[in-house]
Amino acid sequence: MNTYYAANLLIFAGVDIIACIALNLQFGVSGIVNFAFIVFQAAGAYTAAVLSMPPDTAADYSFQIYFGGFNLPFPIPWIGGAVAGALLAVPIGLIVLRNLRSDYQAIALLVTSIIANTVINNARPWLNGAAGLALVPRPLNPIEPVPDSYLYFYIGLTAVCVALVWFIAARIVNSPFGRTLRAMRDQELAATALGKNPVALKMTMFIVGGAIAGLSGAILVGFLTFWAPSTWLYPETVILFAAVIVGGRGNNLGAVLGALLVPVGLEEVTRLLNNYVNIGPPNFIPAMEWVLIGLFILGFLWFRPEGVRPEGHKVFPEGFESGVRVLGDRD
Amino acid sequence: MLVATDVHRHFEGMHAVDGVSLEVPRGQITGLIGPNGAGKSTFMAVLAGTMPATKGTVVFDGRDVTRIPAYRRARMGLVRTFQLSSEFARLTVLENLLVAAPRHRGESLLGALLGPGYWLADERRIVGEARRLLKRFGMSAKESDYAGNMSGGQKRLIEIMRALMLHPRCLLLDEPMSGVHPRVADEIQGYLQDLRRDGLTILMVEHELHFVEQLCDSVFVMAQGKLIGSGTMATLRRQQEIVDAYLVG
Repeated sequence: MNTYYAANLLIFAGVDIIACIALNLQFGVSGIVNFAFIVFQAAGAYTAAVLSMPPDTAADYSFQIYFGGFNLPFPIPWIGGAVAGALLAVPIGLIVLRNLRSDYQAIALLVTSIIANTVINNARPWLNGAAGLALVPRPLNPIEPVPDSYLYFYIGLTAVCVALVWFIAARIVNSPFGRTLRAMRDQELAATALGKNPVALKMTMFIVGGAIAGLSGAILVGFLTFWAPSTWLYPETVILFAAVIVGGRGNNLGAVLGALLVPVGLEEVTRLLNNYVNIGPPNFIPAMEWVLIGLFILGFLWFRPEGVRPEGHKVFPEGFESGVRVLGDRD
Repeated sequence: MLVATDVHRHFEGMHAVDGVSLEVPRGQITGLIGPNGAGKSTFMAVLAGTMPATKGTVVFDGRDVTRIPAYRRARMGLVRTFQLSSEFARLTVLENLLVAAPRHRGESLLGALLGPGYWLADERRIVGEARRLLKRFGMSAKESDYAGNMSGGQKRLIEIMRALMLHPRCLLLDEPMSGVHPRVADEIQGYLQDLRRDGLTILMVEHELHFVEQLCDSVFVMAQGKLIGSGTMATLRRQQEIVDAYLVG
């Protein structure tokens, strides 16, 4: 296995883990069926790209058209990506989460995802349309082709982000705030009748998840150095949902396992099979990947709806209230 | 304590609640009875704010709460339970109670991110409070079981305990004895009498009339969205219109 392939695998795994943890916070813990999740990752990627790229009038960049081009140093583009994901969540959340029932929320978000992709795909002056953005500078502008040491550095950066996101998610899930989110997910009306404001709770998690998704997009575009509408079509969200369902809804570790099993594992198995096994017409095996993902979702929902790693079961020890015993975590 | 004046709730021309006015006195258990489809649960939902009134006003403890959303009414002490079990199924029995506790430092995003060092003292306090309630209602042994796995009667108790965690000033109970084993129903009756002794105001929708007779200081009767009578059960039994509408047998 060469270094680039290994780095590719690890960085994609990191990005998918971050995305699945964010989606788990929204869908698994809070019950928000965010079928537009990939739009927030895309917003982070585009923002990081235009923050780090020079203006489109610069030499080598004049073949594409985009707004911005601020040439800002790392880590500003990554922070900007996370902020963009959070900011985008505000208007979408205010429109979708306030007055619609949860099944209609899911439909509205799916439509949002399709509209966003179609608009960016066709409006070339904003973000170069269907051709997308290329030559996005990598963090710290290494020489090209990048040496192995840079790949290790990038893996390390991704790992730090995974750890940070894990820390935030664990703090949320294991807190009374996380307990309230799960209560809202189970019985929204009953939670309302107990003094909880479901719109505020959902908006909070929509924004937090949007920020984390934006960060994952920024990490991805910094590694790939390009970003186009074809990389964030709505089925990408379905893969992440499959990962969270397979891994275990409401469980952060489940989200990590799901990310490793579905987007990373399944795609790699498909890629390897495609290289070494000759079945059916060209692209038969990659097409079968979608059949497999569908079967994965259906199979788990039917036979093991709680996923590989079910949501934790919190037990408070005897004497906890008097401070004799400390608190245990869910994961 | 709780005053409803000319409350209406319409659904596309269907008048589920049609001009109901009543007053729930402080520190008493007031009953609300009537046949199925009379609009009792809809009226309770309007009082609690989980459903907006089409017309009319609701005043709680001297304050007009008609336009105040349900979650804020609950924080003010006007708390309801539901006709159908509404437990948080994937939380434990103890966690169901903890969710309801107000003013917890760990219940905001910032509080959560600051970690247990910031909110653990509050958590210990409310776990102690919840355990005392579980003991009072005889459910200590079940605290770590999933609420979704409890029996119908136990789910009713969870709902009542959960509401009590909010320190309500007025409790709206929607058929607390519905689907409950007679022995558990008797226990619930005892708990409600205890709560009245503690000074809690209760408005209760109930079909089991012998419980209403034993528990309620006064009773209102609804039929077809309207209030058709009020008084003690003994006086209501003497009114032919009410007997015909509901109290047959």
